Formats: sequence, C-alpha cells, structure tokens
Amino acid sequence: MKKVLLLLSVFLLIGCMDDDIISPIDDIVEVPESLEIADIQGLKVESTIVSDEVRMNIKLPYTGTYRVKIRDISKNLISQEKLDAKEGDNILKVYVSSLENNGYTLELTDDNHDIIGIASIVVNN
Amino acid sequence: MKKILLLFVSVLCTLNVFGQTDAKLDYSAVNTVTKVGDTLEVKFQYFKAKDANGADIDASLYQFDFQYNSKLLNKISSTWQPTSTSAQKALNSWNGYKYNPDSNKDLDDYDGQYAYWLGSSTSYSTNSDWSVERVTYQDVTALGEGAEIIKYKFIIKDKANSNYSNYTNLLNANWVNLTKSDNTQIGVTKGTSSFNLSLSNIQGGDAGNVSLSVSSNVITDNIGDGSDFSYTIYAKGDTQTSITSGNFDASGDATVTGLENDVEYDVYISIDSEKEYLDNAVTVSDLALVFAEAIGGGSSPNGISTTFDYYLQSILSNVVGTSIPDGGDISFDDSYEMLAHLQGVTSTNTTFISKTGEVYNVSGVKSTFGDEVNGIATVSPTFKPTDNDKSFQFAHAIVGDVNFSHGFEPTSTNADIPASQQANSSVARMSMAAGSKFSQTSEEANLDLTSELKDGQVIFTIGSEVQEMVGAQFNIVYDRTRLVLDDVIFDTGNTMTNFSNHIEENGKINIGSFDQNFEATVKTGTPYKLIFVPIVELQNTSGLITFKVNEGVKADGTQIKFIME
Repeated sequence: MKKVLLLLSVFLLIGCMDDDIISPIDDIVEVPESLEIADIQGLKVESTIVSDEVRMNIKLPYTGTYRVKIRDISKNLISQEKLDAKEGDNILKVYVSSLENNGYTLELTDDNHDIIGIASIVVNN
Repeated sequence: MKKILLLFVSVLCTLNVFGQTDAKLDYSAVNTVTKVGDTLEVKFQYFKAKDANGADIDASLYQFDFQYNSKLLNKISSTWQPTSTSAQKALNSWNGYKYNPDSNKDLDDYDGQYAYWLGSSTSYSTNSDWSVERVTYQDVTALGEGAEIIKYKFIIKDKANSNYSNYTNLLNANWVNLTKSDNTQIGVTKGTSSFNLSLSNIQGGDAGNVSLSVSSNVITDNIGDGSDFSYTIYAKGDTQTSITSGNFDASGDATVTGLENDVEYDVYISIDSEKEYLDNAVTVSDLALVFAEAIGGGSSPNGISTTFDYYLQSILSNVVGTSIPDGGDISFDDSYEMLAHLQGVTSTNTTFISKTGEVYNVSGVKSTFGDEVNGIATVSPTFKPTDNDKSFQFAHAIVGDVNFSHGFEPTSTNADIPASQQANSSVARMSMAAGSKFSQTSEEANLDLTSELKDGQVIFTIGSEVQEMVGAQFNIVYDRTRLVLDDVIFDTGNTMTNFSNHIEENGKINIGSFDQNFEATVKTGTPYKLIFVPIVELQNTSGLITFKVNEGVKADGTQIKFIME
C-alpha cells in the first residue's frame, strides 16, 4: 500500500510541475540536413531556385530582433521583414509568389542593419 | 622515427590541400561567323574540380553570370543542354548593366568574384552597352566532366551603329557559384578556350539594312528593356497603310529592311501597354509638377508664364480637355484628374493618363525631341535613308509622365523653356527649385518599411523621419494568395490629402499623400500602416509584401527617390 501511495505521489508531483521543466524538447528545433549551418550564425535557404515559397534557416548568436531583407539586382531594398527570433536555429519561410521571376539577394541583419548572412535566390514562379 | 613519420604525414596533408584543382567554366564559339546578321552560337561548358588524388569533386548547384555587348550582339535564344529530369533551371536577364569586378582578384578567379559580388552593393552598375545573363542549374545528379550546360545564340549587329570599332569585346563570364551538396563552395577558374571569334573581317551592314534605335528611361533605368517597344513605318504623311512594323531588341535597336534610299518615311513608336510597370509611371512627383503649373503658370500654352522646364511637359501634363496645339492649357482640371487617378477614382471625363492597359505614346527623332516651334513642343516622326545615312535615333515618352521617369528627357536646347519665360514672379515658381524636372538625384532617407507578424495579423509599417515632404507615394505589392488587406491607417497630419488605390485582383495598393498648396508636410513617425489578415497559417512574413515605388516630393518641388538601408 505504501508503494502504491508513493507511486501516486510521484505522479501527482510530476503533474504539478511546470510544463517547461518537463518538456525542454519544445525549444529544440529540428534542423533538416539541407538547412544545417556549421557556423554559430548565418543564413541558408533550402534551394537557390524558388517557386512559391522556400524554407530558410536563420541561425542567430542571440535572442532578439532581426531583419530579413530582399534586394534586387542593383541591391535596392524591395522587401523587409522585422522579426523576433531566438538564439540558434530558426526555421522560417520566404514567400516569393508576389515577386517577379528574377534573381535576388536575401540578407539577414540585426536590428541595426549589420549583416549576419547573405544568400542568392532565383525566383521561378 | 616518430618525428619523421609525423613530418611525413604533415607534408602529405599539406600536399593534399594544395593538390586540389579548381573546377572550370569554359565558354567558346560553336560556329564561325563572318558578317553582320550571322548567328553566333556560344556554349558554356563545365569541367570538374579534382581533389589531390585526382578524384572528382561533384557539385549540385551551378550558377554563373556572364555579360555580353548588346551593341554588337542581339541575343535571340538559349537552350539548356543537360537532359536530367530532376534538375531545376532558371535564367535571368538584365539589360543595361555591366559588372565591376573586384580589382584585387583575377578576373578568372570566378569563385572569388562571386564572393565579392555577394557582399558588394556596387558590383553592377548601369551601362547601356552591356547586358547580364544569370544561369542557375541545380540537380542532385552531378554534371559530368566537360558537360555543356547551356548554349546561347546571338545575331551579330552592325558595329557601324555603335561606338565600337571592332568585335573583340563581346562577351565574358563575371562570376561562378559552384556548390557541393553540403553547401560548401568549390573553386572555379576560366576554362582553356580562348574566346577568339576571328571577327576582324566582319563588314558593315548591307545597303538595305536601316537601323533604328529608341531611347527611354524605361531602357536606361532597366525598368523594362528595348524589346518592350515596337515600331510602325508609313510613307511620309500617311498614317493608314503601314509599310512595315516590328519590335526593337533588348537594347532598343532594330534593323529594318525593305526601305528605299532617298525616300522619306514616318515612324511611330509604341510601348507594350500591358507592361505592369506602366502603373508606376504617373506618381505623386508628376502630380506635384502639374499642380505647380496649374497654380503658378498655365495661363498660356506657349511657355509664357510656366513652371515647366521643357515645352514637352505641357503636352505630357495635358491629361484632360482641349489639346495644347488646339489652344488648351494646363489647369486645375488636369491636376485634379491626376489626383483622382492616384486615388483610384474613375473619371467621367475622357482622360489621357497612361497606365497598364492604356498608354498614350509620344515619339520622334531624338535630336529634336520636344523642340519648340511657334511656342509649342513638337516631335518629328520623319527619317530618310540615304547611301551615307542608314542609322536613325528616336525617343519615346508617355502622356501623364511629366517628369520623364518612364520616358526620354529632351536633350535638345530648343526643347528647353528659357528662364526668362518661366513664371519667376509667381508664388509657385519661386517655391520650385530650378530643375524641378525628373532628377536622377536620390537621397538617403531615414525611412523604414517593414512587415511583421503581430497578434495573428501582418502589419506593414512605413516609418519616416523625412522632414519637409509635401508629397509621398508608395506602391505596394502583396501576396494575395496568403493575405487579405484589412485596413489602411494614415497618420500624416491634419491637412494632407491622403490617397490609397487598392487593386485587389492584382494584389496592389498605392498609398500616399499630397498637399496641393505646397505648405503642409507629411508627419514624421509612422505616417502609413497597412494591416493584413493572413488566410493561411504563417510563421513569418518574408517576401509577402514588396515595394515598387517609394518616392517623395519636397516643398521646393524636387523629387526624393528614397534609398533604404
């Protein structure tokens, strides 16, 4: 009987614990091989030739606010996202349906516009 | 003995690294050409990199830029050579650009030049003589040794119509991005073929070949290219039965046959009215010019008491009512029609404002484009081929585009309105800067256009710290397969006239503000905010919203073309 009570107490204790403590797995991002970045920071897209959308990995040194910029042949800024992202790998997407078929440069910067990573994409919708 | 072995292994490792050989991109002529009009075929070949043991280093991404002299070559086609069904392929073209290589690296150090291009903002500059092609090939199956990637065909153009005296500077590769499947770069150099086409004996065109060219900022500023323009030729004075017609090539040149020497012809040049960029031709900068004219000049169509710099601007801004040659002038009717156009209001009047699907063309001989005759701008369509003169240059503009952003700004001194005839005494002219016409001058502006995913909505904000802006316009394109526009919020100040023209079926929205009295200025902070509701699940917003036109007008009438960090 004591054993049963002990077992029940253990279950009760586990049930009352904060989810974050018992499930740290939530913070682990599964990075596909095609998006792995060896360096501590950088930007990588799953495919250079893109139609509709493509996955990208932005690997960051710190949690904070960052920018993903798209530039044309003359490096003019034509699109910019501002986002809060966490340290390490962040698997996100680039949507290209509204972009004309052309070659573009994808740029990851911090909020002060300092470049962290660059990639070339070719839109082929 | 251990030390000797260690040394031996170290040397072996060092040799291993330095024993690698780079991959090669080779380009060469497939056939022999001897005269103008011949078709030149050029093939691009790939040779694998080798490791120190001579084993192949395979790639999965093959990407390179090359440039060709568009004054001497007219690109007509390209053909992929690999037959792999799993390959992804893409071709891009930019007319009017030339590569500025990294001078610290060899021109043949293609991977080094690629690294430079990737990080440089000045590696490509506009140059009307050159065009750039980008070739991208991606496949899980590696290309074999010596594989031909692509072949291009070009027509040899007549050097007599160019500033080149020979054909030695025709084509070269700029950079190569060769990547292994693990995303590491492979070194690439130039192949062994020399691009010697033996074209020294090429002669000028046949007597029957007449060359036409068209000039426009559409070509110069790479908004579109020369192939967007077409020509129709008539006997002089006839506009009913055309003799011949055709299209210009990408650099704005055309060769016409079937014409006779010493006969006068009229040519009319049109732009393809379906081009989407025509929706960006008439903007708040044009509106400012027309309002200023309506306020301070415009009492006469002949340039007396005007705020314009060119006589032709009267023709281009007369978008409603009686035409200038018939006694019309520029009034508030024109400026308010243009404002209504920017607001997306359909006018009950017959208007002549160029936009996608509806273009009003103006074309004529370039050297006299917009010349004043009896106080009114003129354009001449007439040319006459002779034995000694078979090359003719024309210019093109469109009605409504008063600042020539999508047209040719006159260069003839007879097209300028003398300062003495400008409305210096008027309030409007005094407030307008000299040369308030279209200017290439751009201004680094403290402007921040960003999209963000917030509380399940996509928020697009335009943050501005730009002072003294009496007008501003932003043409936005959004992904209508993923977003629905929910709201537009203006915070521009109490007295500004705001406009938003939402073309839902195309996923476009043009927003902006203008003070027709040139007094109130757009408030700094966040003057414009667009709120979108996602119709699919989104993780982030990259690429969902793009901006095509970002421009402002200062109180002195000068245009600000924003450059953002």
